[in-house]
Amino acid sequence: VRGNHSQSDIVPRCQVENYDVKGKEVSPVAAKSGKENLLHLLRAMKVDVTSKRRLKNEKVKQSLSQSQSTPALKSTISMFQKASEEASAKTHSVDPELLAAASAAAATLPNRVNAESELLKQLRQHEAITEAHKKGDVNNLGVIIADMKVGRNSSRQNAWPANQIRFDDDGRGYSHDRGIAAELDSVRRKRNLFTGRRLNIFSFTTDEDKLDATFARPTLWDADFANQLSSSANQMPRNAFEEMIQWTKEGKLWQYPIDNEAGLEEEASVPFHEHVFLDKHLEEGFPRQGPVRHFMELVVTGLSRNPYLTVQEKKQHIFWFRDYFNQKQDVLKEAEVYLN
Amino acid sequence: MKPPWFLPARRLCVERNMAASGWQVGKYMYKNNRILLTNLEKVLFHRNFVASSALRQQAVETNKGDSSETITVPRKKVWSKESVLEALAVTVRRDHTAYPYQFQDDPYLSPRNAAEFKLYSLSQESGRSAAKYFVNNHPKFFTKDFAEPHIPCLMPDTISLRLEEVSEEALKERINLRKVKAAVDMYDQLLQAGTSVSMETTHNLLDLICLFCDRDPVQEDGPQTEDMEESVNDVKKWKGKVRRPSDLLKFTWKGNNNAERIFNLLPEKDTRCYSALIRGMVKHGAYAKAFSVYTDLLNNRLTADVHIFNALISAVPEVRDKYIERWDLIAEILNQMSQQKIQPNLQTFNSVLKVLRRCGSLARTLALQTLSEMTTLRIAPSLATFDHVLAIFYKAASAGQGNTDILQEVMSELAGKSFTCQDPGDVLFFSSAMRICLDYKDLDLGYKIQNLVEVGENWMLLGDSYHRSVYYGRFFSLLCMMEHIDVVLKWYKELIPSLYYPNSQGLRDLLQALDTDSRLDMLPTIWKDIRSLGHDNKLELIEELLNLMAREKHSPEVQESFAACALDVKSVFDRNRSRTSLEWSNTTLSHVTSLLLRANKIPEAWEMLQVFKEQNRVPSDELLEDFLSVCRSEGSAQRAVQLVQLSAAFCLQATPKLAKLTLTEFNLSEEQRIILSELESVTEPTD
Repeated sequence: VRGNHSQSDIVPRCQVENYDVKGKEVSPVAAKSGKENLLHLLRAMKVDVTSKRRLKNEKVKQSLSQSQSTPALKSTISMFQKASEEASAKTHSVDPELLAAASAAAATLPNRVNAESELLKQLRQHEAITEAHKKGDVNNLGVIIADMKVGRNSSRQNAWPANQIRFDDDGRGYSHDRGIAAELDSVRRKRNLFTGRRLNIFSFTTDEDKLDATFARPTLWDADFANQLSSSANQMPRNAFEEMIQWTKEGKLWQYPIDNEAGLEEEASVPFHEHVFLDKHLEEGFPRQGPVRHFMELVVTGLSRNPYLTVQEKKQHIFWFRDYFNQKQDVLKEAEVYLN
Repeated sequence: MKPPWFLPARRLCVERNMAASGWQVGKYMYKNNRILLTNLEKVLFHRNFVASSALRQQAVETNKGDSSETITVPRKKVWSKESVLEALAVTVRRDHTAYPYQFQDDPYLSPRNAAEFKLYSLSQESGRSAAKYFVNNHPKFFTKDFAEPHIPCLMPDTISLRLEEVSEEALKERINLRKVKAAVDMYDQLLQAGTSVSMETTHNLLDLICLFCDRDPVQEDGPQTEDMEESVNDVKKWKGKVRRPSDLLKFTWKGNNNAERIFNLLPEKDTRCYSALIRGMVKHGAYAKAFSVYTDLLNNRLTADVHIFNALISAVPEVRDKYIERWDLIAEILNQMSQQKIQPNLQTFNSVLKVLRRCGSLARTLALQTLSEMTTLRIAPSLATFDHVLAIFYKAASAGQGNTDILQEVMSELAGKSFTCQDPGDVLFFSSAMRICLDYKDLDLGYKIQNLVEVGENWMLLGDSYHRSVYYGRFFSLLCMMEHIDVVLKWYKELIPSLYYPNSQGLRDLLQALDTDSRLDMLPTIWKDIRSLGHDNKLELIEELLNLMAREKHSPEVQESFAACALDVKSVFDRNRSRTSLEWSNTTLSHVTSLLLRANKIPEAWEMLQVFKEQNRVPSDELLEDFLSVCRSEGSAQRAVQLVQLSAAFCLQATPKLAKLTLTEFNLSEEQRIILSELESVTEPTD
């Protein structure tokens, strides 16, 4: 069977056939002709899948005639009942002819009314089930597939390299190799890969020896090994951030700031007081008091609040003023402002 | 200086119950100050707090002696410079509708199939190395340095020699630039001049010669001359196919080469000299020689190092043939290691297991013993370790036997762990584990492996694009075989084509899965994918597709879409007419024709019958009868007569039957009747 679709269509009908045939065999009266009729019918059915309705009507007539022809056989009635139920499973609403068939079948039973209502109830129930199956077909497929034997054509099997896939054609799964199974049993009992017997060659020591190995400079072999590792693993970035990580590692990208001290390469070693307390640079080369001193104190205060200059630049700034005032000493003395 | 928010927050900590308030404070502070503050709390709880943090620190100092609890100050968390980026990268999820990131710059160069992927990624790589080659070889054009601060890696590398005089410095420079021949020449000149070379430089020189087997390595950043350019291109082509870069260095070790000569000339040899020589010999195939050098080392009363042992272990299968002898030699080497007090590392055990792969039935118990030895030594196994173990327990030849217990255990051991690449063999683990799942049709295990791939950085260990597509190909085949079609299609959308490009076998698996779950209406969509994946030149695949479409009748809408798909298939054949790869076969032709007929596309179907003629193929009787019945329902008598004529031209047996049918069931003109009755009678005697 190639696909389950066709199978699921065919299977219930085959069951109908079985029931009918059985019923036939039990009934002695119309055995031969009825059976032939039925087989003919079924043959037609298999070929022409779409004309369900016509076939069903024929079948119902068939079973009707049968039930009429064998009024005495109680044992067959249940069979007919099932058969007609199976047939009704394909209808959307309970067919009038089917109703007739049901009442006819019920007529053969002692409690007529009761039997008829029971039959009809059963029919409606089947109708509901059919509807449900139609809607929930997909779930059912799983069940059918589970029971199905999957056969694949030979060209597909050949297409598999080394014939690695085996389909469980017998449905029993796999034959276990005895030797391997026995060997694995011991492993299974342990339930852990790592707690079995060991080689007992090495003894565990603390990491004292390893230390000098790590201190040694990486050799060319180490570089080669690292190269092998990086070329074997997939390093392709998957998004822009990963690409930026790669660039950061390669040194192509400015580091993303991780604290407030990012970008402090030059000034990292300079303590803050060098930036703030610049008075000590006024000790030499400047007057102790007077307007120049006053001016310079203002300059130093300004510089101490300036975060954009390095300490070196601040010093240079101060020293520039020192040189300037030294050059202008004569002028300042004349004006009597340069008091040393 | 502490920021201003610090003080109130801290006070809050102390005034309330410490354990409860911990979360309200900044995490950093919580980690660093919690223990200090709990101590503080005892002493200072009732005081009014205006104190500065410095005061509290003092209080702790004074308090330290009293408290019996030992204070463990937590380690300061050091953030690497990539940590912010890493955190951001984790937030980006894979978009399975997008192309791989490396191709997103240029939408025109977005690969649609495996061939294009390979072409584009190789050209991207070669573009980079061309640029690097140019920069390095013509540094005079790249003197401007705009960057502030300076970025050294963007400046040209020095690849030419600067020091010309004979000195140890010049030798070091040659070693650093990996110029093997120049370095050997320089060393010889130094020896002739009577200058002694320091031990470290000698070590490096020996390493260099042994690693590259006394040959100048192929420069990574580009060819030096014309003829070398060609050889590099060959190498690249080869790399694209086989993908084993280690094969590039398969030069064989020649007896008495420079390495051996220099080694023999050395007045005193230490372990590192031996190490370089033995590793070089093993790497380049002189296995027996490596063992004799090792004996030499033992005779000189030296101890070996771990690298020597690792190299020797990996050489074992080449010097011993019998399984038991191989293991005996390994056991001997390991025992010597332990006697010389050398601690083994991961590589040691990985090479032991790798040898055990070639030890047949002996290997199973020994492999497990090796694993437990690793646990005792607290050496964490890498993925390559498990790959070897799996290979030992699951031989490809015995697929279908045994069970997946070992893989189950390995997976439960690995679940949820993130790995880094520690061994070049690590990248083989995932694809071989998935192969076992496929062999044993174990879907649950397959999902477990896929989950492991998704943990952390494990995706990197899928290896290059080749290994990745092998892995995903197996996973997808497993899904197609075992999983419900809706789930398969979900994975299909996720994996293809953003993660890998399936081969035609994978697509046939998908078709089969569609067939099994009766979702044949998906076929036209899959056909579009087949075309864009570049598998529309695979005749087998097309035949399977057409076969599935033509097998049963479907609803009119589905038939309509199938017919459109069939026309598309036809256009592929038409386009490929010049090429010989695709040729119409009888089945494909009749499938396409009957698909067109079912959608009542008579003119197109008629064209198909002409193609039969062109290709010297003969349509089947059923096909023509189908055609006739469609003509009947459409009521086109002219077409029916043409059909019978065509059938006569093919000399089909069914011609008289068709003619009869046409005569009885169509409204024909007198002329047509004459033609048909002629055909009916002419061919009748041949019956």
